[in-house]
Amino acid sequence: MIDEMMAIAILLPVAAGLLILAIRNYYARNVVVVATSIALIVNSVLLSINGPFTYTPEGVNWGLFITILDYAILLFYLYIGFTLRNWLVVIFAFTQLVPLAYFEFIMKAHLELSPAFVVDHLSLVMTLIISIIGSLICIFALRYMYDHEHHAHLTKSRQSRFLFWLVLFLGAMNGLVFANNLFWLYFFWEVTTLCCYQLISHDRTQEAINNAARALWMNATGGTAFILAIIYLYVTQGGSSALSLQTLIGGGIQASVVLLPVALLCYTGFTKAAQMPFQSWLLGAMVAPTPVSALLHSSTMVKAGVYLVLRLAPAFAGTYLSIAIAIAGAFTFFATSALAISQTTGKRVLAYSTIANLGLIIACTGINTPLSVAAAILLIIFHAISKGLLFLCAGTIEHQIWSREIEDMEGLAAKAPLTTLITAVGILSMFLPPFGMLLGKWIALEAAYMVPLAAILFVLASTLTIVFWTKWLGRLLQVLPKLGWPLERLSLSYSAPLWTLLIGIFAVGIGVGPIYQNFLLDATNNVVSGNQIFAIGWNNLVLTSASFIQRDILGLFPIWPLYLILVVALLLPLLLIGLKPTELRPVYLCGEQVGGTDTDEWSAEADQKTKFLLGGYYFQSSLGEKKVNPWANTIAIVLLVIMIGCGVIVIC
Amino acid sequence: MLEQFILVFATLVGAPLAGGLLFGIDRKITARLQGRYGPPVIQPFYDFFKLLGKEHIAVSRLQFIWIYGYLVFMVVSLIFLVLKSDILLLVFLLGFAGVSLVLGGFSTKSPYAHFGANRELLQIMAYEPVLLLFAIGVYAQNGSFLISEIFKQDKPLLFSLWPLFLAVLYVLTIKMRKSPFDIATSHHGHQEIVKGVTTEYSGPYFALFHLAEWYEIVLLLGIISLFWANPLWVGILIALVAFLLELLVDNIAARMTARWMVRLSWSIGLLLGVINIAYIYLTKGVS
Repeated sequence: MIDEMMAIAILLPVAAGLLILAIRNYYARNVVVVATSIALIVNSVLLSINGPFTYTPEGVNWGLFITILDYAILLFYLYIGFTLRNWLVVIFAFTQLVPLAYFEFIMKAHLELSPAFVVDHLSLVMTLIISIIGSLICIFALRYMYDHEHHAHLTKSRQSRFLFWLVLFLGAMNGLVFANNLFWLYFFWEVTTLCCYQLISHDRTQEAINNAARALWMNATGGTAFILAIIYLYVTQGGSSALSLQTLIGGGIQASVVLLPVALLCYTGFTKAAQMPFQSWLLGAMVAPTPVSALLHSSTMVKAGVYLVLRLAPAFAGTYLSIAIAIAGAFTFFATSALAISQTTGKRVLAYSTIANLGLIIACTGINTPLSVAAAILLIIFHAISKGLLFLCAGTIEHQIWSREIEDMEGLAAKAPLTTLITAVGILSMFLPPFGMLLGKWIALEAAYMVPLAAILFVLASTLTIVFWTKWLGRLLQVLPKLGWPLERLSLSYSAPLWTLLIGIFAVGIGVGPIYQNFLLDATNNVVSGNQIFAIGWNNLVLTSASFIQRDILGLFPIWPLYLILVVALLLPLLLIGLKPTELRPVYLCGEQVGGTDTDEWSAEADQKTKFLLGGYYFQSSLGEKKVNPWANTIAIVLLVIMIGCGVIVIC
Repeated sequence: MLEQFILVFATLVGAPLAGGLLFGIDRKITARLQGRYGPPVIQPFYDFFKLLGKEHIAVSRLQFIWIYGYLVFMVVSLIFLVLKSDILLLVFLLGFAGVSLVLGGFSTKSPYAHFGANRELLQIMAYEPVLLLFAIGVYAQNGSFLISEIFKQDKPLLFSLWPLFLAVLYVLTIKMRKSPFDIATSHHGHQEIVKGVTTEYSGPYFALFHLAEWYEIVLLLGIISLFWANPLWVGILIALVAFLLELLVDNIAARMTARWMVRLSWSIGLLLGVINIAYIYLTKGVS
């Protein structure tokens, strides 16, 4: 049973991907993708019911297989580097290839390890996110890529290739969150980097290729740190047993040795999670078709980065490294939230918001208490749902107005009411109570006093978050006084994932109490033992102090009452209050408008008919990238050096 | 449970009465300071009922959602205060009310409402971090975010959190829409572009805005009175003095620019909060 489930989780996407590559028919391909998605979703649920467990595949010599593929991937990087003449890619391919070859051929390292996979509750949470949200995005991509190529007037369809990498990504992510053998984890890590490169460069424009190469070399620096950590552990501990992730975090290795490789691995996590100063690769990834962004931002890639840091949390608990990680994460949260305000492109706002929230999650990991780790896991889940939804919305909007600019989205509520409604809920769910993201942020803030500097950065960042979301949503709603907005028709491939994710926001948000107690608490305990969150009565979440002797209550969040209030405050007025045509009036223009109620023209100078234009605030002179990036990147680099320094100092 | 229901009911009815009266006093005192006689103290209630009786007209259906959102979340924040619940969540709920008002301004293509909404957003940016820092300051001092815990302490918060008290007073000016921070919409006709964020509201919907404002003033003064919660009457007295102080400042200051407000809040306001929390952290540690 476990054999089959593991095979479906990791190998089915590979097999399905190859099949998709072979099929040239649009409908046949859709059937394969949908069937694979359903299989992955059902399988992930079955895994969660049967888990946790450990597993080592038998029969085939998988170790050899993985080693060969490792070299194949790295040689492919070299090939890319040379053909693009991008020397950074070449350098960081070599920095991985040379140590790896030295390690295996000169040192003749023995890399077999049992168990190869450890599937605990944290892995199960991750695989649920990857399988469910990832699959929904793949379904969305079916129609999206069809429209995308139609709009670009491509003669030869490249949809098969695109879907191949998309589906393969899910398999690699599943392997990544299950792996216990660090060397295998490294392999899956590299596969995700490769998938990411292929997907970003998909459109083959110069910009796409350049940005993909940037993503590649930045992640390759992380891969290099990963290899160095593996070699360091192997050499100091003398054997493959040191490569077990469980030994590493279970206190099996003395603290003075373990901190440097852990710091290096955290660096790797930072690169993949696009933390400052690596944010540019994720922003560059925005050139890719929107399903790629949705996948990278919600359920795969960047979540692998935060997963690794979260996974390693027990190994750095109670050290200065932990505090350094908390502050570095909190700083990214703050700086990228400020940068998001200055962005005029919808997808770039989403990207900065992702980086910010990943920073928050990493900071929570660094604070390293049961409360903050629970917040981190809740944020991973809710962020995946909300951000997945928002990217799909951005894609849907793009295919309605053929623009990604926020200013072009003005008055979308009248043109595409359904899309606007879903987008509005998605945006509200990112930063307001009672939605899950705010719940996570609230828990994080209540836990943050352990590292006061992080708490203060949280406060500033969450304020900035309000500003950029509200002003974007405001632009969507800016409509002329007019009644009767016809609902737009959405293809099923668009609407099914959108509605599923929308329902997901509410289902998981409303049921968070039982979900936490029955499932997420175990995942939290995989990282840090103890429980500080209790659900009582009407799903009131009560936070308590960590002490077991006397539990003081820290805070209270009534979940169901707040959702009820949301219904009363927003949903009932939306449904119940109508506006008759006779009650409609033009907006106030000092009596100078031209025409009827639904006009945006007025008599300007010399009674000339002039259209008035509105625009949002972007503060590019004070918060623009040119202004902020130099000092923010400098601070981020200093924090990164301090972080790795914390690992080095222990050895000296 | 029954006691709580009575408390909530009393708040729902009592708060607007007190809030309306405070606004009446505001208008009277302001008039006297300006050498006018001023309207009767219960004029806000006359205005309210007159607005309710006016014709239903609007420029967009979306407006209704956000004005109700503003009112409901304001009331809920106040109920959180009365039930002595979580202060941090209260600040977030108050944030929802603020965001609703902004979106109400944005939800029609109207230049004046658009300006007002942008400015209201800047006001949120100015006051939100101070209020959040205040919540963290309460935790630093008491080891809990619950308001009920504040009432259990013998020593008033004012002694340990006086820098944050000053910062919250600053926020009170912004939230009460008083000069120099009546940026988004003003009570004074002479320094207003039309009516700011509320430009496109009229009749009964504008009455709802006033109702929300009444709840808001009670909530804000309630938050101020938390600084001296034992005995509470001292706290209420402090809040009323703060209210009168705001009126005085309002009449001797002119409206400033939004940018100036944000800068001042993010420099002095935050500095006060940060120093306050840092001091408590260094002297008390993590409780």
